[in-house]
Amino acid sequence: MKVRFWGVRGSIPVPGRLTNRYGGNTSCVEVRPRGAAPIIIDAGTGIRRLGKSLMETAFGDGGGSAHILISHTHWDHIQGLPFFAPFYTKGNQIQVYARQREDTHLQAVFASQTEDPYFPVPLSSLRAEIQFHELVEGAQFQIGNATVTCTRLNHPWIAMAYRIDADNASVVYCSDTAPFTDVLLEHEFIKSPPKVGAELPQAIADKLAEMRAALVAMCRGADLLIYDTQFTPDEYKRQPHWGHSTPDDAIAVAREAGIKCLCLYHHAPMRSDDAQDAILEATRATVLHAGDAFSVVAAFEGLELTIGEDE
Amino acid sequence: MKARFWGVRGSVPAPGPDTNRYGGNTSCVSVRTANGELIIIDMGTGLMHLGHSLLPTEFGKGQGKATILLSHAHWDHIQGLGFFAPVFIPGNQFVLFGHAKSSSMLEGILEGQMNPNFSPLYTLKNLGAAVEVRAVVPGEPVTAGSVQIIGRPNPHGSTTALAFRIEEAGRSFVYASDVGYGDGGPTPEVLALYQGADVLLHDCTYTPEHQATRRNRGFSSYEDAALAAIAAGVKHLVMFHYDQDYTDSDVDSLAAACRAYLDARGGSAIRLTAAAEGEELEI
Repeated sequence: MKVRFWGVRGSIPVPGRLTNRYGGNTSCVEVRPRGAAPIIIDAGTGIRRLGKSLMETAFGDGGGSAHILISHTHWDHIQGLPFFAPFYTKGNQIQVYARQREDTHLQAVFASQTEDPYFPVPLSSLRAEIQFHELVEGAQFQIGNATVTCTRLNHPWIAMAYRIDADNASVVYCSDTAPFTDVLLEHEFIKSPPKVGAELPQAIADKLAEMRAALVAMCRGADLLIYDTQFTPDEYKRQPHWGHSTPDDAIAVAREAGIKCLCLYHHAPMRSDDAQDAILEATRATVLHAGDAFSVVAAFEGLELTIGEDE
Repeated sequence: MKARFWGVRGSVPAPGPDTNRYGGNTSCVSVRTANGELIIIDMGTGLMHLGHSLLPTEFGKGQGKATILLSHAHWDHIQGLGFFAPVFIPGNQFVLFGHAKSSSMLEGILEGQMNPNFSPLYTLKNLGAAVEVRAVVPGEPVTAGSVQIIGRPNPHGSTTALAFRIEEAGRSFVYASDVGYGDGGPTPEVLALYQGADVLLHDCTYTPEHQATRRNRGFSSYEDAALAAIAAGVKHLVMFHYDQDYTDSDVDSLAAACRAYLDARGGSAIRLTAAAEGEELEI
């Protein structure tokens, strides 16, 4: 299958010369099992160009089918949806998957994104056939020949990681998450940063350890692990409650899970291309010195990776 | 006073090498008055970069004060608020004027984007700085220090967007983004708002060809902008809010076509520029 990156940035789109190479669009990855409909993960602004490219295919005539897995509904992961051209053509079939809410139906969340006065085109007037699927942690389901598995992450109001198995290959998308060491992030606004390295109450430490073990188990043997590495270690110390990781956190999960290629992802908005190059280089050096068997890449807009069998 | 452009793009940020010159950030303009007061117009993604530039000033110490004018609450005009660094620093004070039936309704609209479904900020009350939200009464002047501001609604698709006129010591700057006039062009009230402005910054989302097929979206073509500028006798027309698909060379063409259109319609005395991110304009 093929994995293509359409948006690699976290938090907010950042146009400008300093981000030309890695790209300034927010999160969007296209997974394309051989001969199958696209499975899109997240709908940041990167999905706009993906949508335009899909309109050159069966989607342009209303004969397209796509599946969209949403890690969570924070702006940078959904703000491209209203600009996804296949929504506006009758006949296209689009399935949207995201974590079930405690208090609201998923469709209501997406409907409120485009209701008056925030956007001129309400969800109800989109011409494609759109269905919403609510997921619970640990759920496993089929999309054609692909098997999708999910587990929860450590992020404010909770994000989901997804694994897709198809064509004898596997990709895991793990964004957004904090490491599982300093704070449990759920349905609570945390005003000031908790102290990094401080001891946690046993129940919380256990819950975080369990969450991490489930993630490592889901990543086991994956060909490609796409991981939130928004922070440098210093940035993490200042904002451990924002729900993002460092490359070292990603390396530790990659090592334990025995994956083949680690992809740095969800780059900080103010990270210049040159700074991102340096992070990639430092991460590769760490992995080399540790004698790890996996390779490291940094996601950029337009990067396409082929894993497992493909035509 | 001085105006500076932080975001000039319409609808959705458009990153990429082909938007480097004009910029891909969504709507945000700052106006610094001769007296040193700061007025911010719209809160698209450009607001984040304005915020970073303010940190070395009194805003970094929690002693900053600014007026924010909001044309309307479509996402591309509010999506920068949660990334505006000065709004997280206690002590800074902002008064935000926008269009709604009441101040509390406007506050509710802004709360909606902080809703935990969409943002980890949870509520405006977590921002740190003091943000006072006030609904504008169309046509009724608001004073912000040494300047007077008047807002008037323009039609914008199924909704309206406020145009603002800022006056200080006989100089005037008008901001009129996100406007799709009816067949008669601007209303007399709106024309009066634009009248004789030193600078009219106007929605220029489309070519006339694109506008003709997308009229219901409520945006202007460069012809609409040029006709409004001529009718109001402004001195300088600034093009703004380019479609997200337009490259830098498309915007160059838009500006050339607008110049030719102004000249052909008796507006040759009007100066014309296309707003670009980072550019500063003395008014």
